[in-house]
Amino acid sequence: MTAQVATSAHSNPLDLHGADRLDDVSRPTKHDDAWRYAPHDLLARLLFGSTTATAQQAPAVAVNRIPQLDGPRIVIVNGVIDVDQSQIAALPDGLRISTFAGSATEPTDPADDVDSGFAADAFLIAIERFGSGGVAIEVTDGHHLDVPIHLVDLVAPNQTRNTPSRSAVVRLGEKSSATIVETRIGTGPVFGGLNTRTSITLESNAALEHILLQNLPETQIHLGRVEVSQHAGSTLRAHSFNLGASYGRVAYEVHLLGAGGQADLSGLYFGTGAQTLDQQITVVHSARDCTSRQSYRGVLDDESTGVFNGGIDVRPGADGTDAQQSNDNLLLSDRAEANTQPRLEILADDVACKHGATVGQLDDSALYYLRTRGITANDARRLLIDAFASQAVDNIESDAVRAWIRARIGASHA
Amino acid sequence: MLMVENLSTSIGGTPILEGLDLSVGAGEVHAIMGPNGSGKSTFAHALAGRDGYEIGGTATLDGVDLLAMDPEARAAAGLFIGFQYPVEIPGVNNMYFLRTALNSVRRARGEEEIGARDFLAVAREAMELVEMKKDFLNRSVNAGFSGGEKKRNEILQMAIMRPRLALLDETDSGLDIDALQIIAAGVNSLRSPERSVVIITHYQRLLDYIKPDVVHVLVGGRIVDSGDHTLAHYLEDHGYANFVNHDPDSAPGRPLTGTAS
Amino acid sequence: MSIQLTSNWLGTQRTGSDHRSIAPLSSKRGHAMTRTSQEINDLAEASYEYGFSTDLDTDIAPPGLTEDTVRLISAKKDEPDWLLQWRLKAFEAWQGMTEPDWAKLEIAPIDYQALSYWAAPKQKPVLDSMDDVDPEIRDMFDKLGIPLHEQKMLSNVAVDAIVDSVSVTTTFKATLAEAGVIFCSFSEAVQDHPELVREHLGSVVPVRDNYFAALNSAVFSDGSFCYIPSGVRCPMELSTYFRINSQNTGQFERTLIIAEDDAHVSYLEGCTAPQRDENQLHAAVVELVAKDRAEIKYSTVQNWYPGDENGVGGIYNFVTKRGRAHTDAKISWTQVETGSAITWKYPSVILQGDRSIGEFYSVALSSKRQQADTGSKMIHIGADTTSSIISKGISTGRGQNTYRGLVKVMRSAENARNYTQCDSLLLSSDCGAHTIPYIEVKNPTAKVEHEASTSTVGEDQLYYCRQRGMTEEDAMSMIVNGFCREVFDELPMEFAVEAQRLLSVSLEGSVG
Repeated sequence: MTAQVATSAHSNPLDLHGADRLDDVSRPTKHDDAWRYAPHDLLARLLFGSTTATAQQAPAVAVNRIPQLDGPRIVIVNGVIDVDQSQIAALPDGLRISTFAGSATEPTDPADDVDSGFAADAFLIAIERFGSGGVAIEVTDGHHLDVPIHLVDLVAPNQTRNTPSRSAVVRLGEKSSATIVETRIGTGPVFGGLNTRTSITLESNAALEHILLQNLPETQIHLGRVEVSQHAGSTLRAHSFNLGASYGRVAYEVHLLGAGGQADLSGLYFGTGAQTLDQQITVVHSARDCTSRQSYRGVLDDESTGVFNGGIDVRPGADGTDAQQSNDNLLLSDRAEANTQPRLEILADDVACKHGATVGQLDDSALYYLRTRGITANDARRLLIDAFASQAVDNIESDAVRAWIRARIGASHA
Repeated sequence: MLMVENLSTSIGGTPILEGLDLSVGAGEVHAIMGPNGSGKSTFAHALAGRDGYEIGGTATLDGVDLLAMDPEARAAAGLFIGFQYPVEIPGVNNMYFLRTALNSVRRARGEEEIGARDFLAVAREAMELVEMKKDFLNRSVNAGFSGGEKKRNEILQMAIMRPRLALLDETDSGLDIDALQIIAAGVNSLRSPERSVVIITHYQRLLDYIKPDVVHVLVGGRIVDSGDHTLAHYLEDHGYANFVNHDPDSAPGRPLTGTAS
Repeated sequence: MSIQLTSNWLGTQRTGSDHRSIAPLSSKRGHAMTRTSQEINDLAEASYEYGFSTDLDTDIAPPGLTEDTVRLISAKKDEPDWLLQWRLKAFEAWQGMTEPDWAKLEIAPIDYQALSYWAAPKQKPVLDSMDDVDPEIRDMFDKLGIPLHEQKMLSNVAVDAIVDSVSVTTTFKATLAEAGVIFCSFSEAVQDHPELVREHLGSVVPVRDNYFAALNSAVFSDGSFCYIPSGVRCPMELSTYFRINSQNTGQFERTLIIAEDDAHVSYLEGCTAPQRDENQLHAAVVELVAKDRAEIKYSTVQNWYPGDENGVGGIYNFVTKRGRAHTDAKISWTQVETGSAITWKYPSVILQGDRSIGEFYSVALSSKRQQADTGSKMIHIGADTTSSIISKGISTGRGQNTYRGLVKVMRSAENARNYTQCDSLLLSSDCGAHTIPYIEVKNPTAKVEHEASTSTVGEDQLYYCRQRGMTEEDAMSMIVNGFCREVFDELPMEFAVEAQRLLSVSLEGSVG
């Protein structure tokens, strides 16, 4: 789809009404495949714009709401870096962190972003237009960081500006490696949202583990976008946990630009209440002999809706591609819904691609079996749900992150 | 019947066979033994015409130059390879496959094609040879077959194609003793003065059931020794160690038991 | 009586070989492959052999589409007023609609005003006897391998032949009438069984369902009508043969099949068109109604002219096909799509009644510059409903093949089951395969599975066949046919043979 933001040149940044909304033409509709199951009425109520005013309230990040990780922490409150709450004083060797303000999307070297093939959408344009700045993270060639870098977003919307839009630009130099954890939380009963873009470049033979923990309150909307450009021989392991928000959207677009790249994406979405949790995943194979995996699991309770729209896109000449995708959904309630769209777009002939999707419920015979062994019905359910969800959780190396996720999904099912 | 002289093959510049000589007379059964990576399978597929090899030397079957031909023309000339890893072709009926193969070869030779009814008779007879159940013909080619079934299917195909020269590439690997005996019996019944067989194998086990006239030792891309069937027993007892890095022009590392080729 | 519809009626013209002599046929499974080996091997010419056109004396309306055109069509056919009003309503709806967004299709804009919406061979559409059929039309069908003359037919297949917009003849009417089966042209049904038509027309595909369904509803000219009364198993296969002959005309036929409680019918549909440099539009609507415990099996072998290597000419095939399955009913769609420049069709089943069953088996081949966008929709409403989708897409040349499908399980559909399998085979480096399934599940007791794979013909498979003496082309043809086997097994015998022939012809030049 082509998206445009209202172009009225509003001179007064406080004059937000209308101007910072996406106009009717720009906003996606349910006819756009990527936005088919989104709450379009709520999206229309998002108000973008500089959030300096709200940032001054600077609510504190409650320590118990985020995983406790050793290593640098960058706290972003309403889209603006909060230096006081961040821990970036003594950085490990090979790591550079800088911040940038305003609506710029690139801190230093825009020429770096050679691949402009990422699909634009209205909310990306909102970031470019109304962005509140962000953070640039660089790992220099050959460095291996043994502590994770933690990016924490806190959203505390007010009535006039409810949706900060921030960017993060990440570059891993040749043969370097790092782990980045992005945690998103929010406060308050006020409607609002968070609109983020994380642009990642992996130079040749770099290796990144990227973990996204989305846990906004159910009054809010999460629009999170991760773009990855992978050069030859680089490795991405991306794990998303899409847990919070009324509409939680996690979008990954990974471009395999150099031969021999590997992208391993997995995710868990765990819906309760009236949540809609939406994963939009595309892996583009543009180079030879790359491998990609997509493995997403959804657990959907109450009246929640899960969405998986995952694509494998093999461009001409990307021979030797090995791509697989799976999406499995567990419906726990008769009001829950699963929508899955596993797409293949293949334009090369020497490829091996597979995808599969399933929707089902807890296995009655397994439940029965557990109960004959004396386990209560509730515990048996828990056990089976945990077993289903654990595939995604077990992939995580960090004990602190695993513990945080288990606590969070356990909590929703106590 | 089969004359191979100074055959060399390499894949992407890496040499596999380096000057292999082999002569197999009509009605003879030869065994080629050798350690992993010595080039045994490469030899079979170089003769059969698989893509991807750079080839030197000559190979003729009944005086016809094999190396100049497409794989199907080599088959029509009477060459049959029993594959070490028979290929699965889902959805293609085994009987249909076999009849198409047989008729392709017959057509290439200017012979009359065989009708469905007559073919069924031929197939039935061949199936008894390898103790196949009837439903075998209606299953897809090798798809979902067990290892033993795949190998028996190769011998079944050999029985139907009636080649001049059958080259069986590790047909014994992965078989239990019953299956081994069935296959050996199948091959033995196909022995005739008109037909030669080359058996490629790791172990002498199969050779207990199919007695070869000549045994060759293939090491490092060349035949380094040849002898009668006792050579197989020697190898079973002593392994290939004495032949590795062996210089064929110097004295052999074992007591001579037969004629060198 | 055995089924003996001559088997060359959709594919290339076969000369001098009689496939029936190859093997006696007892059952269709297991034999379909064997009996065609000769035929596949015989194939030599890769060109579209039905590209001839016939000089028929044709009554053509001037190009353009207005309310007057709709009135003209209705008047030409002497239709009752309710049907005219129905058409006008559809026309009004169509005017307010926009063409679909061609997500994966490259398509030149269609000028709907440049088409002619009425073309009919100048003969009375209703005939008293087969001997009244215009000899030129008879010759044309003979050339296509479809004898319309009952005396010449040993066949157990009744044929409704449609040229351009009009049904020219329906065979075996009397035999069918004895069983109580009505099989006639749509126009005749409007005159003779208006109550049945009125009750069911548009009941499965509403006029505003989509752009092309609305267009068809406004201007459809003829088509086939079948009615199988309660408890009757139709004594023969029913078949419609479609032919576009005139230039610059659209073909908009309408098919309506009604199977009452416990009725069974198998229906076949075949299509060809002359080779012309401009694109021709075919926008049909097919509606199936399967009442309680009824079963409808609908098979299509579509071989419209596909255009040439440069994408010049060919049929635009935009078809809406849908069935409604009542309690314990079963609707099965099988299609082999090898023709058309563009194919856009999604045969669907509304699984309304409890325990109803929907099936979709498809082979779609895109070669040259063909674009196929096809798949199925299974809408589960009733409890314990079951659907399965088996789709085999083959792309070669510069062809683009898209599977697009929807499996929707409504809240009411307790214990619904769906299994979908989409396999794509890519045979050239310039072609493409796309798989775009939508799965929407609103009931937790549903079990929905989707599997897809994309692959190419293995070098090792080709080599294995060649070691056994087959040429590369034969090997390719055999392997691809094997890939399609699950679908061909669902076709009636003579269609399966024909489908394999078509596939082999379309694949020529794909090797190497």
